[in-house]
Amino acid sequence: MSLSATHPVLLVAVPLFFAALCPVVGMWKRAACFYWALAGVAVTGFLTWTLIGKVTASHALTYNVGGWRPPFGIQIRIDYLGVFMACTITGVSMLVLVYCHRYATHDLKPERIPYFYTLFLLIFLAMIGFSITGDIFNMFVFMEIFSITSYALVAITGQKAAVRAAFKYLLMGATSSLTILLAISFLYSVTGSLNMPDISARLGSMRSTYLPVAAVALAFFVVGFTVKAALFPLHGWLPDAHSMAPSPVSAILSALVIKMGVFGILRIFFTVFGRSFSGLSASWGTLLSVLSWVAAIAIVAGAALAVFQKDLKYMIAYSSVSHIGYILLGICMLSPRGMTGGFYNLLAHALGKACLFLVAGAFIYKLGVRRISDLKGLGRKMPVTAGAFALASLSIVGIPPSAGFVAKFYLVWGSLQKGQYAFVVFILLGSLLAAVYCFRVVYYLFFTASDGPAPGVDEVPVTMWAPCALLALGTLFFGLYSGLIIPSLQTAARLLLR
Amino acid sequence: MKKALVLMALALIAVVFIYAIGKMPPMNGKDTPDKTHVVPRYLEKGEEEAGARNIITGIILNYRGYDTMGETTVIFSALAAVIALLDREKRRRSRSSVDASKVETSTVVRTVARFVLPVVVLFAVYTILHGEPSAGGGFQGGAIIGASIIIFALVWGLPEATDRMPLGARLPLESSAMLAFLAMGVIGLAYGVHFLTFILPGLSAGVAETVRSLMLTVIEAGIGVGGGIIFVSIVFAMMREDRYELQQDRK
Amino acid sequence: MSFSRIVNNFNYVFSALLFLMGLYTVAVKPNLIKKLIGLNIMETSVFLLIVSLGMVGGGEAPIVEAGVKTANIVNPIPQALILTGIVVAVSTTAVALSLCIRIHQKYGTLEAGAILGREVDV
Repeated sequence: MSLSATHPVLLVAVPLFFAALCPVVGMWKRAACFYWALAGVAVTGFLTWTLIGKVTASHALTYNVGGWRPPFGIQIRIDYLGVFMACTITGVSMLVLVYCHRYATHDLKPERIPYFYTLFLLIFLAMIGFSITGDIFNMFVFMEIFSITSYALVAITGQKAAVRAAFKYLLMGATSSLTILLAISFLYSVTGSLNMPDISARLGSMRSTYLPVAAVALAFFVVGFTVKAALFPLHGWLPDAHSMAPSPVSAILSALVIKMGVFGILRIFFTVFGRSFSGLSASWGTLLSVLSWVAAIAIVAGAALAVFQKDLKYMIAYSSVSHIGYILLGICMLSPRGMTGGFYNLLAHALGKACLFLVAGAFIYKLGVRRISDLKGLGRKMPVTAGAFALASLSIVGIPPSAGFVAKFYLVWGSLQKGQYAFVVFILLGSLLAAVYCFRVVYYLFFTASDGPAPGVDEVPVTMWAPCALLALGTLFFGLYSGLIIPSLQTAARLLLR
Repeated sequence: MKKALVLMALALIAVVFIYAIGKMPPMNGKDTPDKTHVVPRYLEKGEEEAGARNIITGIILNYRGYDTMGETTVIFSALAAVIALLDREKRRRSRSSVDASKVETSTVVRTVARFVLPVVVLFAVYTILHGEPSAGGGFQGGAIIGASIIIFALVWGLPEATDRMPLGARLPLESSAMLAFLAMGVIGLAYGVHFLTFILPGLSAGVAETVRSLMLTVIEAGIGVGGGIIFVSIVFAMMREDRYELQQDRK
Repeated sequence: MSFSRIVNNFNYVFSALLFLMGLYTVAVKPNLIKKLIGLNIMETSVFLLIVSLGMVGGGEAPIVEAGVKTANIVNPIPQALILTGIVVAVSTTAVALSLCIRIHQKYGTLEAGAILGREVDV
C-alpha cells in the first residue's frame, strides 16, 4: 500500500512519536524541547493540510488500523468535519506553540519545560485523534488523553488559584467522562458494536424494546459532552480554569479543547444516531430542540456574565461560554445554513479567542496587569498586541468584514429560514453584549491616557506578538474569503443531515 | 439547599438509570446483541488470526491494538502530568535524617521483602510473557513490577530506591510502551500493510506466525516495562521527603 | 418496564447504586480525598456495569484451549474495554492526587470549603 494510503494514521502516529521522545530530548537539552515540539506540530500540520484535497475528493477517508475491517477492528474515518477540525487544531496550535517559546521560559520552572511541551504535544495529538476516529471507544480514549493533560496544563505554574481551578476542572471533567463511558456501555449492550456507522446501522434494525436504552444513552452523552463543552449551566469549571491557566494554555483550552465537546455532540447526534433513524426521532428531535434553547440562553448568559468581569482573562473566559452557545445553536438548527453558521463560528471563535488570550498573556508578561481598568493607554505602549486584540474583537462581536460576522450572519439566516425569530433576538443580544465587553477593553487600550508619563513603544518579543497578529489577521482573512470553505462546510452539513 | 439540589439530581439520574436497566438485554443471556455480533468471530478465529489463545489479549493487542496504543499514551500523559505538577524526586545528596525512610527499620519487614520481592518480579515477568496462552498481559505484569519496586521504596526508603533505579535509566524506559507500539506499527507500514498489522506479507506461514508472536511479545514487554516504570516514577515523584516538612498538627 | 428484568440484571442495579453513591460523595463531601474516593467508586461502578454486560451464565474465560470447543464463553470485549478503563481511572487518580499534594502545600488543608470557595454543608 502506498504511503499516501497510510496518510490518515500518520496524523496520530507522528505526533505520538514526538510526544514519546520529548522528555528524552529534555533530558539531553532542555532548550531543544521547543524546537522538537515545533517540528512535531509542523509535520502533523503538513499532513493534515494535505489531507484536505483527498477528503473533498472522496467525502470520507477511511483507514482500518491493523487491517481489520470494522466492526472487528478500529477504523479511522476522516470526513469533512474531521479534516476541518484537524486543520483548525493544527493551525491554532502551531501559532500558540510559537508564542509558548518565550512564555514558558518566563512563567515556568525550568525543570518543567520539557514536560510542558510533552503535555502540549499530547493534548494536540489527542484532539486530532478524537476528530478522526470512527470508533466510539477510541474516541473516549483520546478524550481522556486531552482531558488529563488539560488538568495538568492548567495547574502547571503551581499558583494557588490555578491548582484549585484545576482540581474543580478535574472533578467535573472526570464525572462527565464517566457519564460518557456509561452511555457507551448502554449503547454497546443493545447494539454490540463500537464502530460508529455500524452502531447507526444496528440501531436501525434493533428490537424496539431496546430503544429506550438507546434514548437514555443519548441523554447521557448529551450531559457528558455539554459539560466538556462548557455549555451553560454546566460551565462552572471553565471560568476559573481558563483564567488561571497560563495564557497559551487558556488559548488552547478555549479555542480547541471545548470544541471537542461540541464535536462529540455532532458525532453522537449525526454519525451514531443519525437523523434518518426513525425509531428514536422523537427523543432525538426533542433533545436537539432543548439543546438549541439552552444554547441560545448560553449566548446571552455567558455574554452578560462577561460584562460584569473586572479581570481580563475572566471576561474572555465567559465570552467562550457565550460562543459555545453560538456554535451549538447553529448545529441544533438542523439546516445546512444554520449548521454552516455553527461550524464557521467554531473557526472564527478559535482564531479570535486564541488571539484574545494570547494578548491578555502579553499584557501579563510585560506588565503583570490583569484588571481591565489597569489597561489604560496600553494601546500606545503595545500597539501590535493591542491592535490584534481590537481586530479579533471585531470577530468576537460579529462586525463585518470579520469571520465572526460571516458566522453570525449564517446563524441569523438559518434562524430566519426556520422561522425561529426568538433565536435571532438572542444572537443579536449576544453581539450587543459582546460589543460592550470587548469595546470597553478597546476603549481603555486606545482611547484613554495611561496614568503616569506617556510611554514609548515597548512591545513583547516577536515570537509573542506575531502569533497574536496572525490569529487576528486570520479572523479578517476568513471573513473576507469565506467563499474558500463555506461551500465545503455546507456540503458537510448536508451530508450530516441525510 | 445545595444538598437538596444534589439529591434531586441524583434521584432523577437514579430513575433514568434504573429504567434503562429494566429495558436492557438480560444479564447472563447468551443471545444478547453484544454477544452475537462481533464476538463469535473473535472466539472462532481469534487464535489463528490474532495469534493468542487468550482472546482478550488478541483483542487488546491485535483487533483493537490502536486503543491499547491510546491507553499507553494515557498512562504516559499521566506521568507527564504528575512530573509537570510535582517535579522529579531530588537526587540524593547526603544521608541525613531527613532522607531516612518514614518506615521504621523492621527486620521482619526487610527480611520478608528480601525473599518475596524477587519472586514477585519473576511472577511479573511470567505474567507479561504469558499474555497469549493464559491470563496475563503487559499491563498486568507491569503493574506487578511497579508495585514491587514501590514496596522496595517504601521499605528501604526513597534514596535507596532511586539509587537502584536512577532517573537516567528510568526516563528512556518510560517512553518504551508508546515506542514499542510505534515501532511494531511501522514495521507493518514498511511491508506495505496497515499500521499495527502483525501478519506480514511475503513470508511463509510458519515464519509469519513466529514473527507475529515476536512482535506481540515486544509490545507486551514494552507495555509491561513502560507501564511499570511509569508507575514507579509517579510514586517516586509523590514520595519526595522534602515536601512533607514536619509541621504542627493541623486540626 | 418489567421488574423481573431489573431483578435479573441485579449487577447493573448495584452498578447504578454505586454510581449514585460515588456521585453523591463527589458533590457533597467537603474533603478532597473523599471526593476522589467518590470518583473512584463511580469509575468502579461503570466497570462493573461493563463487565457484567458480558456475563454468560456458567460461562468460561475466553481462553481457547486447543481443540476443545466450548460453547459457553463470556464476552471478551467488555474485559478488554475495562482494561483500558482501569488505566484511565488510575491516570486520572494520579493526576488528582498530585493536585491534592500541591493544594495541601499551598493551602495547608484539604477541605473544600477553604479551597473551592463555596459553602460547605455536611
